[in-house]
Amino acid sequence: MTKQWAGIAAFAALAASVPFFLGDNPYIADILITMLMMASLASAWNIVGGYAGQFSFGHAAYFGTGAYTTSILLTTSGIALPLCIGAGILAASLIALLTGAIVFRLRGHYFALASIAVAEIVRLTAHNLEITGGAQGLLITDITFGNLDLNSKEPFYFAMLFLLVTTLAISLLVRHSRAGYFLLAIREDQDAAASLGINLYLWKNMALIVSAALATVAGSIYAIYIRFIDTSAVLSLRLSIEIILTTIIGGVGTLWGPVLGAALLVSLAEALRTNLAGELLVNSGIITEASPIESFLKNNLAHAHVLVYGIITVLCILNLPKGILGLFRRKQRT
Amino acid sequence: MLFFQSLISGILTGGIYALAAMGMSLVFGVMNISNFAHGDLMMLGMYMAYYLFTLLNIDPFLSLVLIMPAAFVFGYAIEKTMINRVIGHPSENQILLTVGLGLIMGNTALLAFTSDPKILTTSYSSSSFNLPGDISVSIPMLLSFLVTCLLTAVLYLFLSTTRTGMALRATSQNREAAQLMGIDVSRMSAIAFGIGTLLAASAGALIAQTYYIDPFAGHTFLLKSFTICVLGGLGSVIGAGVGGIVIGVVEAMSAAYLSSEWKDVVVFVLFLAILLLRPRGLFGRKGEQ
Repeated sequence: MTKQWAGIAAFAALAASVPFFLGDNPYIADILITMLMMASLASAWNIVGGYAGQFSFGHAAYFGTGAYTTSILLTTSGIALPLCIGAGILAASLIALLTGAIVFRLRGHYFALASIAVAEIVRLTAHNLEITGGAQGLLITDITFGNLDLNSKEPFYFAMLFLLVTTLAISLLVRHSRAGYFLLAIREDQDAAASLGINLYLWKNMALIVSAALATVAGSIYAIYIRFIDTSAVLSLRLSIEIILTTIIGGVGTLWGPVLGAALLVSLAEALRTNLAGELLVNSGIITEASPIESFLKNNLAHAHVLVYGIITVLCILNLPKGILGLFRRKQRT
Repeated sequence: MLFFQSLISGILTGGIYALAAMGMSLVFGVMNISNFAHGDLMMLGMYMAYYLFTLLNIDPFLSLVLIMPAAFVFGYAIEKTMINRVIGHPSENQILLTVGLGLIMGNTALLAFTSDPKILTTSYSSSSFNLPGDISVSIPMLLSFLVTCLLTAVLYLFLSTTRTGMALRATSQNREAAQLMGIDVSRMSAIAFGIGTLLAASAGALIAQTYYIDPFAGHTFLLKSFTICVLGGLGSVIGAGVGGIVIGVVEAMSAAYLSSEWKDVVVFVLFLAILLLRPRGLFGRKGEQ
């Protein structure tokens, strides 16, 4: 466990020094912020999905609730930024409590379907209300916090990094606490865990609330960073599924799996979006700029990253159920 | 009059929902798998109907004759190569596999057909007739409903009278016991998934005239199909049929008397209520919750 703490500290130190090497490069900074955000979300999901084994298919609901609560309070009232984020956490925790009361009575397929239904109700509600801007979305203008320059990327990089490190630290604490062992017992065999006197309902809800609160903060930071939110960006089923895929591909139930998954998937999406493969082929002289392969790659690959996610997911489930991290683990053991 | 108009259009739409949900319920019953690619299979049916009509000028209702066998073979092949490897695995892995397959189908369609919505317009697409009392009935919807009834009757006869149908039902009731009786359960799974795909693609083809066709058009039907399956009892084909009509009517009524924005919320609230109060649905058997 000390090794793991040292790992988190080393990661924090390394990541915190990155901006000083990069200097002022908004493009790279944007990719890194997205990576840190997905890593935080996947790590937060991992607490309830990985440790407790409760595959929530509705985590976008918490991310979105955080984004909307913070944005609405910021634009309509004079409340200070940290309090707005706090309010977001409170709102999402309430939704988590309500969700837990419904979905944790169910298991297997029924649990997965119920978690989607709850998240869809949240999405449709935000879509139909007026205070959320409905289908038009919400624009967040004129915000200040202390003397931070909220138009630069740096504060958001450090905020997301702080969130990720906090999430990792909480994951590690939970994993090695009494509660963590309860969660693992629930994941392995709910009935056996219950017969040993573990209160399933209580511990599943605890895991969900911690996980939801962390996802909420990611949503709040995202909203202030992007300055515009709508339901398809922050509350969609697609986002919930992307969070799960990130964790599964990296390694579910492990500390670093979600971080690895986020690093891989976000860079992959970016490489496809910018047609990295085409550029490499052109630069290495294999094809010319005018070749039909280049134009095919250029025109199609930009939208192909979700397709590639799908292919990776299918390959992972069929061949590597423990994710990419599991690949190394297995090799170590043999 | 609003009441009867909503009732009629609810029943007609519900018929299509029922067709899509029956395929999902059959797959769930025989294989114990929630198929999250079901909506994307519907989308494939929509595109097949669209291109058969625009390129070869085959009427969408006639093209069913071509779409159904193609869809069956496609589903059978997917089951044999991929899905049979997760039967009996934790439900999360099954769900993620079908989610992955759905992402592949939807995004391949996006690359192939672009995201521009397509509209299938036949000579009778927007024609309708009036019942006494000014209740208008759309002709394509009515035809779709009649085809749905026909397909349901054929499916029912197939399941209740043929040897394969009985073997499917036996596998659905108890996989191990069916295997002990000499039924090839892995073949039954492939057949069930093939029929599930066939029904999804048929439903897609039948609504191709009524809805916009785009690569993610199936997604709204995915969640609806789950709701219907749970209402009817996951695994019960008859339940899915009745559940489809019920959900169609509930939706039309809430659109008429509440607002069309909130009708989906009503459906999801109903869904959660059923899960909590009567998890085996209207026609389901006792078992997994």
